[in-house]
Amino acid sequence: MSSEQEFVTPRKVPRETGATQKSLSRSARPSQSGASENSAYNSGTFKSNTFKIQVDELLAQIRPRHGARESAAENALHRLKGIIEAIPAGAPLSVDDAERGLLMSSKVVIPFMEPRPPKDAKYKLEYSKPSSINVVGSYALKTASRVEAVAAIDMLVTMPTALFQDKDFLNYRYFYKRAYYLAVIAAALQSACETEYSTRFKYHHDNPFKPIIVVAPNAHKSSSKGKTSSSKWEINILLSTSADVFPPEKLLPDRNCVRNAVDNSSEGGAIATPFYNSSIRSDMLVSSYLKLSHSAAKDCAAFVDACILGNTWLRQRGLGSDIQAGGFGLFEFSAFMALLLSGEGNLRPILGSGYSSYQLLKATLQLLATRDFSKEPLIIGSTSGNVKATGRGAPIVWDGQRQHNLLFKMTPWAYRLLRLEARTTLSMLSDQNFDGFEAAFIMRKDLDLYRYDYVVALSKGLLGPDNASPGQAPLQKYRQLYEVLERALGDRVNLISITAHRSKAWRVDYADPTQRSEGEIRVGFVINPATVHRTVDHGPPAEKKAEAAQFREFWGEKAELRRFKDGSILESLVWSAKESGQSVFEQIVRYAISKHLGERVEKDVQIAGESFARLLSGTASDTNSQGSLEAFRQFETDLRGLDGLPLSIREIVPADAQLRSTSLTSIRNQRQQIPADVVLQFEGSARWPDDLVAIQRTKIAFLLTIHSQLAGSSETATARVGLENGEHDVLNQAFLDVTYDSGASFRLRIHHDREQTLLERRLKDKALDPRTKEVAALGLAKYRRDYVKLPAFTQAIARLCSRYPALSGTIRLLKKWFASHLLDNHVADPVIEMLAARTFVQPWPWQAPSSVQTGFLRTLHWISRWDWRNEPLIVDLSGSGDLKQPEVQSIQTKFEAWRKLDPALNRVVLFCASSVDQDGTAWTDGRPQKVVAARLTALARAACAEVVDKGLDLQPASLFASPLADFDFVIHLNSDFMLNAKSSRKSNGSSAFKNLELDVDTDASRVGYQPLRDFTSEVEALFGAAVLFFSGGEERAVLAGLWQPQTADRAWKLNLGYSTIPRIGSEGEEDVRAEINREGILAEIARIGGDLVKAIEVNRR
Amino acid sequence: MASIKQKSATQVQDFAVLPLATPATQSYPSNTTHYLYLRPNAPRAPTEDTPRELFLVNVPVDTTETHLRSLFADQLGGARVEDVEFEHARLGKGIKAPVVQTIGKKGRKRKRDSEGAVVESNGEEVGLLPEVWERELHPSGATAVVRFVDRASASLALKEARRVARAGRRVPWGTEAVEARVPALGSERYLSHHRLRFPDVAALRGSVDAFMAAFSAQEAERARAFARQRSAPDEDGFVTVTRGGRKGPAREAETKAKEEELKKREKSRIKEDFYRFQVREKKKENARDLVRGFEEDRRRVEEMRKRKGRVRPEG
Repeated sequence: MSSEQEFVTPRKVPRETGATQKSLSRSARPSQSGASENSAYNSGTFKSNTFKIQVDELLAQIRPRHGARESAAENALHRLKGIIEAIPAGAPLSVDDAERGLLMSSKVVIPFMEPRPPKDAKYKLEYSKPSSINVVGSYALKTASRVEAVAAIDMLVTMPTALFQDKDFLNYRYFYKRAYYLAVIAAALQSACETEYSTRFKYHHDNPFKPIIVVAPNAHKSSSKGKTSSSKWEINILLSTSADVFPPEKLLPDRNCVRNAVDNSSEGGAIATPFYNSSIRSDMLVSSYLKLSHSAAKDCAAFVDACILGNTWLRQRGLGSDIQAGGFGLFEFSAFMALLLSGEGNLRPILGSGYSSYQLLKATLQLLATRDFSKEPLIIGSTSGNVKATGRGAPIVWDGQRQHNLLFKMTPWAYRLLRLEARTTLSMLSDQNFDGFEAAFIMRKDLDLYRYDYVVALSKGLLGPDNASPGQAPLQKYRQLYEVLERALGDRVNLISITAHRSKAWRVDYADPTQRSEGEIRVGFVINPATVHRTVDHGPPAEKKAEAAQFREFWGEKAELRRFKDGSILESLVWSAKESGQSVFEQIVRYAISKHLGERVEKDVQIAGESFARLLSGTASDTNSQGSLEAFRQFETDLRGLDGLPLSIREIVPADAQLRSTSLTSIRNQRQQIPADVVLQFEGSARWPDDLVAIQRTKIAFLLTIHSQLAGSSETATARVGLENGEHDVLNQAFLDVTYDSGASFRLRIHHDREQTLLERRLKDKALDPRTKEVAALGLAKYRRDYVKLPAFTQAIARLCSRYPALSGTIRLLKKWFASHLLDNHVADPVIEMLAARTFVQPWPWQAPSSVQTGFLRTLHWISRWDWRNEPLIVDLSGSGDLKQPEVQSIQTKFEAWRKLDPALNRVVLFCASSVDQDGTAWTDGRPQKVVAARLTALARAACAEVVDKGLDLQPASLFASPLADFDFVIHLNSDFMLNAKSSRKSNGSSAFKNLELDVDTDASRVGYQPLRDFTSEVEALFGAAVLFFSGGEERAVLAGLWQPQTADRAWKLNLGYSTIPRIGSEGEEDVRAEINREGILAEIARIGGDLVKAIEVNRR
Repeated sequence: MASIKQKSATQVQDFAVLPLATPATQSYPSNTTHYLYLRPNAPRAPTEDTPRELFLVNVPVDTTETHLRSLFADQLGGARVEDVEFEHARLGKGIKAPVVQTIGKKGRKRKRDSEGAVVESNGEEVGLLPEVWERELHPSGATAVVRFVDRASASLALKEARRVARAGRRVPWGTEAVEARVPALGSERYLSHHRLRFPDVAALRGSVDAFMAAFSAQEAERARAFARQRSAPDEDGFVTVTRGGRKGPAREAETKAKEEELKKREKSRIKEDFYRFQVREKKKENARDLVRGFEEDRRRVEEMRKRKGRVRPEG
């Protein structure tokens, strides 16, 4: 398959693609079909070449192989078959006798279901030789995946028809007889091979009607040297009966087969028992489905591969055949696909047998995603009965020929989850810029904290025993919980999903222990961020009596009748925005649970999901950033209102994190002490000088003009012209700080596009010295970054923030995380924002996060897996597909060029491109360095490991704690000089008067004063050659350092760039070595810092 | 003056090593030693001042002229310093406004008769922007040139330094007396920097005006020089081609736009699928691209496999 020659050259492609799927004959031999699959790498049968190559490789890895464990299991199969065939037929026994007999003779407890058979039952239980014994299931079909830890083989024992009477499908009689039959087999196995194999009972796919036997090699045999691979197998002994034992029309989903003994009412009036009926049907149809799959595998070459892929896809999403795992696993998937392929009865099948495995999978997912089988059942083949949706959200896929609902085990929440996953995967696969392979088949995505915004945990015991009403599906209590929560939360959530511990196998000499209720139920929620915080819910209007009564009944005293502004009188619910720190979501969940499931349950409820967002309290909230945007608009109006400017203004654009609601430090207590950058561009004019230095001076003149005009026109604004970049006169020299009395302040710079041409010309000029060129390169990068990319970036992020409500919080939390781990001075803000934005615009394999927690954790998860050496970060910030394939290609090419140019990663380590910066290096040129990036990865990995370890007990703060022992030395800074320090602003003596204090706070002359930042950047500039500094920014008053490795002992020379000690070397007076003067440097830092430095702690000498 | 604990050299190449005892601070309360290297200045192009200069390597980051004056005057035999030139002095100090005199010089090389009919050029730099730091710091390991009043002082200073080093003594640095005479470090320095960054508006305007006046004078002068070159043939009878005959930048952009337009027109004259061979070529090209893309992808996956090992669903 994977050999190179088989990939046919594209010359053949037109011929292959010209053939429609119809003309590809059904009897196509696998080899031919395989070849067409290979050649079709460019004709849509696979997403992309890369995808196909990877899928091929994956299949080669996980396709079943006949190994040691398989042959061991096959030996066992033969043995078991022999034992079972040798069991003598027994005489019919009454329930009581049968039970006692087995218990006495071989200590086997018959796994009767609840309710147990009545003592006075007239029917007899009986064993006789099985009519056949076969291997079925994934092992027989070769669709089992090799990655499973234990190879499970299904062995089917078909019970002879003669055991059952016509009416045995009623009132559990079939199941009682089945249980006895199973117990007899178990007893035989137990006595025959107890030493080698362990025999246990288990519910087949959690279906409490249908116990099975699980045979596994005894653990103690190989315990001495751990489990060898030959002992990692288990055999499931399933029971079935022939398809004609009971008439299928009696077992249609709308029939009742569990008659109530008391009122013995007629069939029609009783409640239908679809789950019970389907459970019997599924026993009758085992071999029929096996045949169906076999013929599908024969007709369609890619069927088996598609099953393996589908199974992997389901497995990585935590879905499986077990009811607790959703009731949709490999069996259902392959049977579903086989039905779609066969199109029995239908005129044309839904899937074509010429499809590739990828197409089969995708088309199946498409069907799952687009059609809602719970509203409108999917009917395959003709059907005699009338198949209707049952309501309550359970799906129906009706197999007409076999008269069976394939999805009878699925719970409503699992079905919704499955559809969501299918939808997500489809949109992922259609994302041309994303190679979805890993996300589809490799990544495990069933971890609650990544998957759900909120997780509610409650103990199973409190819900009470699962005493289902007769014949109904199990998990009735869960269904009730689900319905209560669904009704209570309404459109606040997009998904509710319930998981509990799966049922386990138990010893044959015990009664079923799983009836005892223990363990924990977890309910996961994916919220709708737009509505989850809504405080008032509108119910039905008062006039609609019935609905209003229903509403009142559900909500109890919480429901109130309210009159709204538009005159309508509605039943409504009012939630307090902040009641004892509980979110609206939590209030609703707790109220609904205590009302409908009892207060005891409510007391036990634990809700996880708020804690991450809570870490952001005290930072700029969304309303604050709204305020700063309004202030910006005011500022823009003020500027445009100036009429004495020599040139008219073309545009005024924001270029600052505070103006895209992603700043942590910005607006504390509404006092904006760091001015927000704003870029102003005038209309073009020929009167600008054509010289870089003169342009910069002209800009100062413009700023001075604006300054004087503003002073005349606005009374609430204070303006000052400030200087910057004094060391290079071709760079921007000045800015205008405008501070409003409200606290908002802006830093205005002028953008003149001629600069770019002049700088480029300088760069190309061969006559100039390298130093000047270096400055020109610096200036050009700065020009592009500050005047072109940053405004575009700001706009793009601001737009994304309004589209994704959780983005702003995610970015801020992520910034906090970076700063807490002292990476503040290494990773630029836009890079952090791009990382977070990627989680939203390319969220695969999830949907875009709807809460800060999922946004944050998924971003960390991605960082931990990011192989930055070999992969660029490419984010489409437009959010609307502006970044097309060719552009992505060119970014990729640029990335590869960088790696070729600088393989040691001395300049660009993280390559972060986006739709506004296709060069990818605007914010990562020179920083972070390789060591820092490696540390970033290590930190993210540690965080993700913590998430996996702790699960719901995760303390968010623990992800933000970073030990300082890793560093060579730690400079503890004086936190009084931090922006959020309260005491530092107090002027001496005046603190007695609150109003005076406020005046100090808004003092415009202090705006932008950040001594710790100045200190950090200065120290970096002075000692950069010797020390790698790590700054905690405004988050942590710490500056840690690592001695650079190139400062190791070396021969003395003049220009080392750091302070040295001349040591006499081993070879006498002439051999002087230069040793870095660590103490001297630390003392110098202490002197420069003065009162900014509290203490310097040395960890390693 | 404590003696040096560990063994360190007193002489490195032709540098004398002078150990400086730096004071303990509250945040780093240990006495440390800083090593200053000195030798007579020996630049590639010596000037007449070179003999009375010393070349210093590894000056402490907080060195000021005052520090060095005090070092030589009070600690090393009383040599008197005239001035100090630091290697990494901020270029900001020397923002060179175009000084008319220099223009004159430059112009003279090109043209025959000297022309001085420009603004009041007194040879001084104009239009400097205000200083934003009260006290400059120097990168770790930086150098400086100290100029003494005379040759004797220079050699005296060096001799004294060698003597001190041999004696194993340490010279105190940054004593309180010295620090009292220079602007303080720490938050005070950053606050003063913050204040200096926002200079007086009138002063700033004055500086910009002066600069712009000088600049336009220079421009005018240059334009005149060019005009002259254009109009008059030189000695050999050639007329030099110079830029600026018409207004530059706007024209340039226009030509470029025209060029683009022409290219576009050329392209659209014959449609790309007009001839059969064009279609065929295009198909071939596409096919080639596909093969190339496929090879590329396979290589990429191959690399990925090498990096990540086998593909296997996560457990």
